[in-house]
Amino acid sequence: MARRLRLPALAAALAACVASVAGCASGTPPATTALTPTFTYSYPLDVITDWDPATSYSNELVALQNVYESLTRYDPGTGTVKPQLATSWSSTAGGLTWTFHLREGVRFHDGNPVTAQAAKAAIARTIAAQGGAAYIWGAVSSIDTPDPHTLVFHLSYAAPMDVIASSDYGAYVYDTAPPGVKPGALKSWLEAAHDTGTGPYTVADWNQGQEAEVTLDAFPGYWGGWSGRHYRQVVFDHTPDVTTAWQTLETGDVDFRSQLNPELFKEATHFRALGTQATASLQNLIAFFNTAAGPLTDVRLRQAVQNAVDYDGLLAALHGSVGPAQGLIPSGLPGNDPALTRHQNLPLARKLLAEAGYGPGGRHLNLSLTYAQGDDAQQLFVTLLSSDLQALNITVDARPMQWNAQWAQAKATDPAHRQDILLMYWYADYASAYSWFVNLFHSAQPVSFNLSYLDDPVVDKEIDAIPQLTATDPAAERANYALLQRQLLEQDAAAAPLFVNTYQRVYASGITGYRDNPAYPDVVFVHDLEPSP
Amino acid sequence: MTDVSPTLAPPAPAPDRSAPPTPAARGGQARRLLALARRDLPATVGAVVLLAIVLAAVLAPWLAPYPGDGSHATHPLDTLAGPGGRHWFGTDAVGRDLLTRVMYGARTSLTVAAAVLTVSALVGVPLGVIAGYTGGVVKDVIMRITDVFLAFPALLLSVALATVLHPGTGSAIIAISVGWWPWYARMACVTATGIRSRGFVDAARCLGVSRIRIMARHVLPNALTPVLVQLSLDAGGVILTSAALSYLGLGPQEPTAEWGLMVQQGQDLFITDWWVVAFPGLAILLTAFCFNVLGEGLRSALDPHRELTR
Amino acid sequence: MRFLTQRLAQSALVIAGVVALTFVITRLVPGDPAVTYAGPRATPAQLTAVRRQLGLGASLPDQLWRYVTGLLRGDWGTSLHTRRGVLTDISTALPASLELVGCAMVLAVVVGVPLGLLGAHLRLGGGRSRGLGRWGRWGRWGRAAGDGSVRATSMLAVSVPVFLLALAVQNLFAAQLGWFPVAGEYTSKLNQTSPLEHLTHLTVVDALLTGNWPVLDSALAHLVLPALVMAAYPVGVVAQMSRAALLEESAAPHARLERAYGFSRLQVLTRFSLRPASGPLLALLALVFAFSLVNAFLVEEVFDWPGLGRYASAAITSSDAPAIAGVTVVVALTYVVTNLLVDLTQAVIDPRVRL
Repeated sequence: MARRLRLPALAAALAACVASVAGCASGTPPATTALTPTFTYSYPLDVITDWDPATSYSNELVALQNVYESLTRYDPGTGTVKPQLATSWSSTAGGLTWTFHLREGVRFHDGNPVTAQAAKAAIARTIAAQGGAAYIWGAVSSIDTPDPHTLVFHLSYAAPMDVIASSDYGAYVYDTAPPGVKPGALKSWLEAAHDTGTGPYTVADWNQGQEAEVTLDAFPGYWGGWSGRHYRQVVFDHTPDVTTAWQTLETGDVDFRSQLNPELFKEATHFRALGTQATASLQNLIAFFNTAAGPLTDVRLRQAVQNAVDYDGLLAALHGSVGPAQGLIPSGLPGNDPALTRHQNLPLARKLLAEAGYGPGGRHLNLSLTYAQGDDAQQLFVTLLSSDLQALNITVDARPMQWNAQWAQAKATDPAHRQDILLMYWYADYASAYSWFVNLFHSAQPVSFNLSYLDDPVVDKEIDAIPQLTATDPAAERANYALLQRQLLEQDAAAAPLFVNTYQRVYASGITGYRDNPAYPDVVFVHDLEPSP
Repeated sequence: MTDVSPTLAPPAPAPDRSAPPTPAARGGQARRLLALARRDLPATVGAVVLLAIVLAAVLAPWLAPYPGDGSHATHPLDTLAGPGGRHWFGTDAVGRDLLTRVMYGARTSLTVAAAVLTVSALVGVPLGVIAGYTGGVVKDVIMRITDVFLAFPALLLSVALATVLHPGTGSAIIAISVGWWPWYARMACVTATGIRSRGFVDAARCLGVSRIRIMARHVLPNALTPVLVQLSLDAGGVILTSAALSYLGLGPQEPTAEWGLMVQQGQDLFITDWWVVAFPGLAILLTAFCFNVLGEGLRSALDPHRELTR
Repeated sequence: MRFLTQRLAQSALVIAGVVALTFVITRLVPGDPAVTYAGPRATPAQLTAVRRQLGLGASLPDQLWRYVTGLLRGDWGTSLHTRRGVLTDISTALPASLELVGCAMVLAVVVGVPLGLLGAHLRLGGGRSRGLGRWGRWGRWGRAAGDGSVRATSMLAVSVPVFLLALAVQNLFAAQLGWFPVAGEYTSKLNQTSPLEHLTHLTVVDALLTGNWPVLDSALAHLVLPALVMAAYPVGVVAQMSRAALLEESAAPHARLERAYGFSRLQVLTRFSLRPASGPLLALLALVFAFSLVNAFLVEEVFDWPGLGRYASAAITSSDAPAIAGVTVVVALTYVVTNLLVDLTQAVIDPRVRL
């Protein structure tokens, strides 16, 4: 590979048209190298959609997880949680009371000390905001602060609070009363790219819509300390184009890229200057069928579509960037069941369609489908599905949409305006499958993420029983998950899990200490990394 | 003039229209055609290649190696195969044969081009003739309207309109036509204005022929010739505009084979699998190039004044 | 004077039409602007507030009146996806596009006109004795081939889809050979070491004015590929047009007279034919300028160039009607004004135009 020219020869010819600058430019000294080692993360989407740690429920977690911390952190290696802001914890009364001991001497970025009272205020504010992942605290009935470093949760039903407190969303401990900010003005102050976290980095700069979107600077007073080699600055580049991402990786302008495409990832594995890591994720793509309106209210048609999907073909065409969906729950989480892996069954699909009066020789069926604009894997699935369904006399009218528009249509007040099939990724909030069931299949009014529009009191009851089982009876919990999945995927045919993503990370091979933690999708805990000297 | 254009062939003899074509005369016509072809080799080559493209488009269901791939078929186990014996142009991300897709893409592009030009001419020419022949306020109003439309570069107006419409082949045709018709209206208006004062129109008027009849029978046919030349010149432009629209995702949608859409969907794979972009892209280039060369040739053939600038 | 007022009145009328047409188009954009603006998590109360804020409750003529007066006051509405004023957004995006278009226009004149001149010269059998002596040795076929390749090149340049050229050039010279950066305006990391002060929002000019050499270096390297791609169409059209115009002029009686006075063919072309051909050339350039501004949409998409085109495509995918309207009006306005300026310039140069 030739190196990029510092001042390409053609620029001289061009300079004439911009201004007569060639002369000045050729005398340019090389750019001064940054004294602070900077970690540059190339991310395909807008990084920030919400700065508020209480309601954040999207992309920004890649930045916020380096700025804010929670009581515990999940370790996928051991399947347990490790201390973070809490150093130890215990539960009594059959999981109805949880006591966390907070790390001493920790300060928020604004200088205030981290106390039990402050942590309580943060969690109370998150619960009150009712946004994002606030549901994770659903079991909490009250919080006590017997002393400045002890936090006691009283629950209305047993729940695994140590795991819940490691959630990627909604579990941040932050200062709700930063000095100089009026109590009612906290949200707008946060939205102006301020933070009140305890993490190793603090927000330095935010340029919405720019290539270098977010800059984080090291927080000197971080409790984890700065001895040894660490990155002192983190920059998040918003780079939608994979070709650009690829070149910036090659030239070393970027240190990490969350996702390229399967072909470039294969290319990267042959590059000595680049390290690669492929990790099975806890994120899957699900097709939601509209069970409340339109043609798919007929369960036979939903089952037919489920059976028409070429699951194995999809896996093959995505060249190793995905793994098989084994039911709703990805492998690595309790409740996962490889026996739920689906395969295409066209004769059955044809039979089901014929029973309903459709299929080849029967009535023609039109299905509308919405999916995420710019998502290559989703688009590939849509093309394959349309192809398979066309052979069954079903036409798919597929529309790529921005998420906001897609979601708005899915929640349209007139059910007739909603789509028949919707594609959406889902991933765990904390290391439990509960998130899939309570968010996606529990009835909810108004519509939120329950995009199959299922309203089944029996299913609701079984879902509501999960948290308690998780804390008290793991075997019963697993049995309950198995039952629920058979109900949702086979009897109700409310959705079709399509595949589980494999995270394909590419980074500068000089970095040591990187290990993907799929419980925090796309997050790099930069303080854990050691830059090359 | 001959001293500055030494490469020009001697002018072809005028055809004898009085006699029915004898075999000899037909031979003469063939010779004439040949002479014309030799005079403008590029235009001839362009015409031949275009003919091949049109044939490929029309006969795609019979000529294409995997006709099913032109519409709905997919082959997830045979994705991104490089060009070779089984797939001359390789396969795309869902395993469809690209040669087939490119041939079916010709159908889409040529259909869109033909439809846009027809719609634009059908709207523009009558309006222009009415404006030019009637004159006065009518002309002013119609011409000011075309001014407004012409203030938008063609692609911009198409993009703005395509945003509003549900994306598809039909909406692409409408979106491009809206930006295209004013050119023909203007051209027809200029010609009609010229014809208005000609003797045969005056004569018809004196005979009491109605205005509409005059416009339809006398003005329109005469205004048509320059428009027809312009249509052939514009075909390349329409192909490029519709490809650009599809590239922006505002044209025909999957599974329709469309060159611009194929380039857009393949661009992330360009570094590793060049063929997914190269073949549909070159198809656009070749078609537009041939239309432009042919149009240029037709213009100089029909406009003796421009003979020299060929 | 009468010409001036007439021409101004006509332009004003066109601009009014442009505004009205844009208004109609943007009223048809799918989706509820209030929902897009407020986000899907908005409560009904928030939606009502947003509707009032965006003036969506009013009647259509009322909305049109607000829209027109807003345009005049410099209030072009709020973009639904960036949530900033549309005019603010455009005023930072437009300079980046103008940078590209400016380069393309200069190249069109600097490369296109000589190319056309060369073609015309060879077509006329020039270079046999004097002038471009080197071409003389090529003989008749060499000259034909020379002119032919000028024509073929310019035809190719106007026939190539600009996004394909952009992708090809980007893949070859940036991704494969690594001679140039793949995309962007300048290396974003430089913002930490040598932040750029924005004066004109033309990066190259700003870097030059503030003496920011690292950014200038990076910006020039980033500019090369997109500028060359942008220049392809203008160069091709200008070469074709100037060749044709020069050939036409050289057939005029005055050219024979000048030849008779002993000027060489090349001298006749450059001294006497170029000047009268410059009128139509100027009009063509105005047309090409507006065309390039829209071509920039596609080039910016490929090179991730932070200009008007990238802003527009982001607006399109998020059904951002105010932003789409803003971009449309700006481009159309630019076009009308350039045309007006060209007409007026021509009227000054050549008084015959005024008739």
